[in-house]
Amino acid sequence: MTRRVIALRLAALVAASGVLPLLLLAVFGLQILRSRGERASQEALHAIADQAAARVATYIAQQREMLRAIGMAVGNQPDVERRLADVSLDAPSLGKLRVVSANKPPFGRPLRLNPDQIDAALRGKEVASDTYIAELSPAMDVCVPSGKPGRAICASLDLLELQRQVQRIRVGEQGYALAFDRNGRLLAAGSGAMRAAVLSGEPVAESPLAAALVKGTTAPARLRNGEGQEVLAGWSTLSGLGWSIAVEEPVEEALRGARTALQFLSAGAILALLLSITIGYVSSRRMLATLELEERFRTAGQIASGVTHDLGHRLAILKQIQALAATNDPDYLPRIRDSLDAEVNTMRRFVSDFADLTREAKPQDFLPIELNAFAESIRSNAQGYAKDFNVAVEVQRAPSEIWVKGDRYLLERAALNLTRNAIEASKPGSAVRLRVDRSDSQAVLAVEDKGAGIAPERIATLFESFSSTKRSGVHLGMGLPNVRRIVTAHGGAVSVKSKQGEGTTFRLSLPADGRQSSSPSTPATMP
Amino acid sequence: MRVELRRDAMFSDGSPVRAEDVVRCLAGHGVRVTSNGEDLTITSAEGSAPLDVILPRMVIYREVDGAFLGSGPFVVHREGEDELRFLRRQPNPNRINDVRLVAYRTPREAFTHTLKGDANLIFDLDPRAVEFFNGVKSLQVIRGGGRSTEAILFNLDLPRDERVQLAGYLASDRVRELAYGEGDCAESGQTQTSAGDVPSGREKLDVLAWGPFERLALAVRRTLGERGGEVLTQSIQEVLARIKERRFELVTARPLMWPRNTLTLSWRTGSPENQFGYSNPAVDRALDAGDWDAAEKALRADPPAAFICTRQHIAVVDSRIKNPELGPYDLLQTLPEWEVAQ
Repeated sequence: MTRRVIALRLAALVAASGVLPLLLLAVFGLQILRSRGERASQEALHAIADQAAARVATYIAQQREMLRAIGMAVGNQPDVERRLADVSLDAPSLGKLRVVSANKPPFGRPLRLNPDQIDAALRGKEVASDTYIAELSPAMDVCVPSGKPGRAICASLDLLELQRQVQRIRVGEQGYALAFDRNGRLLAAGSGAMRAAVLSGEPVAESPLAAALVKGTTAPARLRNGEGQEVLAGWSTLSGLGWSIAVEEPVEEALRGARTALQFLSAGAILALLLSITIGYVSSRRMLATLELEERFRTAGQIASGVTHDLGHRLAILKQIQALAATNDPDYLPRIRDSLDAEVNTMRRFVSDFADLTREAKPQDFLPIELNAFAESIRSNAQGYAKDFNVAVEVQRAPSEIWVKGDRYLLERAALNLTRNAIEASKPGSAVRLRVDRSDSQAVLAVEDKGAGIAPERIATLFESFSSTKRSGVHLGMGLPNVRRIVTAHGGAVSVKSKQGEGTTFRLSLPADGRQSSSPSTPATMP
Repeated sequence: MRVELRRDAMFSDGSPVRAEDVVRCLAGHGVRVTSNGEDLTITSAEGSAPLDVILPRMVIYREVDGAFLGSGPFVVHREGEDELRFLRRQPNPNRINDVRLVAYRTPREAFTHTLKGDANLIFDLDPRAVEFFNGVKSLQVIRGGGRSTEAILFNLDLPRDERVQLAGYLASDRVRELAYGEGDCAESGQTQTSAGDVPSGREKLDVLAWGPFERLALAVRRTLGERGGEVLTQSIQEVLARIKERRFELVTARPLMWPRNTLTLSWRTGSPENQFGYSNPAVDRALDAGDWDAAEKALRADPPAAFICTRQHIAVVDSRIKNPELGPYDLLQTLPEWEVAQ
């Protein structure tokens, strides 16, 4: 694995650790922004509707108050008709003012007041009709006392000004207000598309809601309007008039602020994530470079230490041999020869161990290996070494062939290393067993000895480099780490079980090749 | 006036417009027309209005198979009780090719159909009504100059000095502010800005009013103060009868005032549209000479009326029309050239 790949993985790890909080933040942020944004918009719309309703109520109250004042001021004057005509010049919103009396012909009376209301007005009571649409704008007929019995002053209030007020209400770019009478008839519409319904009297989508609202039912704060558009709405009612005011704004526009904030938040989160990945990547590469440098120095130091120790040992032996040779005693010659042979062999193994470290496993060069035959081969190679220790090497074959793929040389080096360690750890006269087995998709070669076992505290660091405690021979401490390196490169694993006083089992697991034969394995048959 | 008949002039079916068509159409409208084959000589008949007043009102047509054929781009396709349909004789891309003139029963119905998009144009609107179309994206409001001026006509039995005073006193901002909304009246050379004192006279002045002029009549009465009499709101028929019999002091009216040559129609002695019987030799001489400034000056010196307010023509048109303008003579004169956005 290159430093770049490790850096990328580290950066991805850092980024992934940031993604989850960011995702959570985004999800909860979205919900919070949506709900808060929607609630805030609805409250704002409701407030606008309340304001509009208050203005409507005030306006109508003012008109009626003005009419009352006029009634009392001119109602009992002899030229009341002329005075009323004059007043209408100053107060066009009162529409046509007229005197209503008991002997006035019916056509001279306000059309929208019924006879009972007219009678009540003539008895000095103020009466008013429901709101209706006159020619083009809303109107309301009102009669007030004139101060003279049997006579009332009546007006058809022109509520065009209210229509103007409702039409002028704008919320954002597309928000508007609607005014309804108690039956849900649209009286004024800020939405141009809905204005035809004001004149035609056709119900709009909000009409039933408005009619129900006046009767005390709650109107929805989110609905689909007459144009099929989803809108947020704020409602208000004028109980005296029976009017209801709705202020609506398309959801799309009303929640635009929250959505924009969310987009900024998301963009910020993504930027932060990218930044953290970049920083993580750059920092990881720097740290890895530093660590690698330190690791190299440490490794070089450990190698130097091991090599110094071992070569020092070999040098001491060679000095002894040199001293024997210096005596020129022919009797020492066989001993000198045997010692030199032993030292040459030792140095050869020393060089081999180093050579093993330089050989990489290349999957493209792997070849099929039958594990039973492989175990037999290892036994054969270790036989001579075992004989020196008076230890037997046995193979326990699997009932059928088990195939793996690998670099035969490297796997042999790994298996031999474990076998030799087992031989060295065994008591004279005992046996080392090479057991071949299969576990699910794994082919297993176990190396078992009945030696003294390994101290539990050493097990954890057993496969770390230069951790060997055997300093009496050629033991750089590279053997077991190299075994693990080789097996890992083959996609397998190595493990150890040991019990002091009973022995140790090293277990090599390699991916089985899948071509398991149903025929019994043939002893010593090499692929 | 000598007129050269263009050789490429043709009726809308492609047939050429001939000299005899012009002679036939103009005959009997206060002009004499003679032709020498190529040129036409047109002269105003004795006592008739000047040619430049008459000719813009004339229509050159030909009768073909019982139907009248003009030189305009449209032809009547169907004529019903509530609807007239015109089709452009030669369809023109991006222009209006099919016109349906629909009569609705009430203004409210007309407004409703326009707002719904069933109708694409509604014209001659009251300024108040325009507010109803504000904010309707599918429609646009257009305005054009008004041809007539709302006025208070004087009984010509009133002394001239008194009429001069009344004309100056009533054609004032005070009356306009009382009678009209802000911006309803266009600037007019006929109006005064200084009211001065209430004109003196021997009697109260009643104001005869009809239809939409009640508010103007009330404004005039109030402005006259002590001299303001009754406001008599009557039917148009009753008003016309009283005018004919000169049984009024002041009456509301809307005489044609633009283009300026139409002064001839309204105020020249003997003009059929001069229903008030106004006669002023100085005005007649100026009108006959085509000197409109002099005619207006002479009118001010012996005024038949106080000219109060020239109101704009207002129409609401489909927003897809790119260049809607109201014509100066005929409201829809420019309609054939209106361009329709695709």
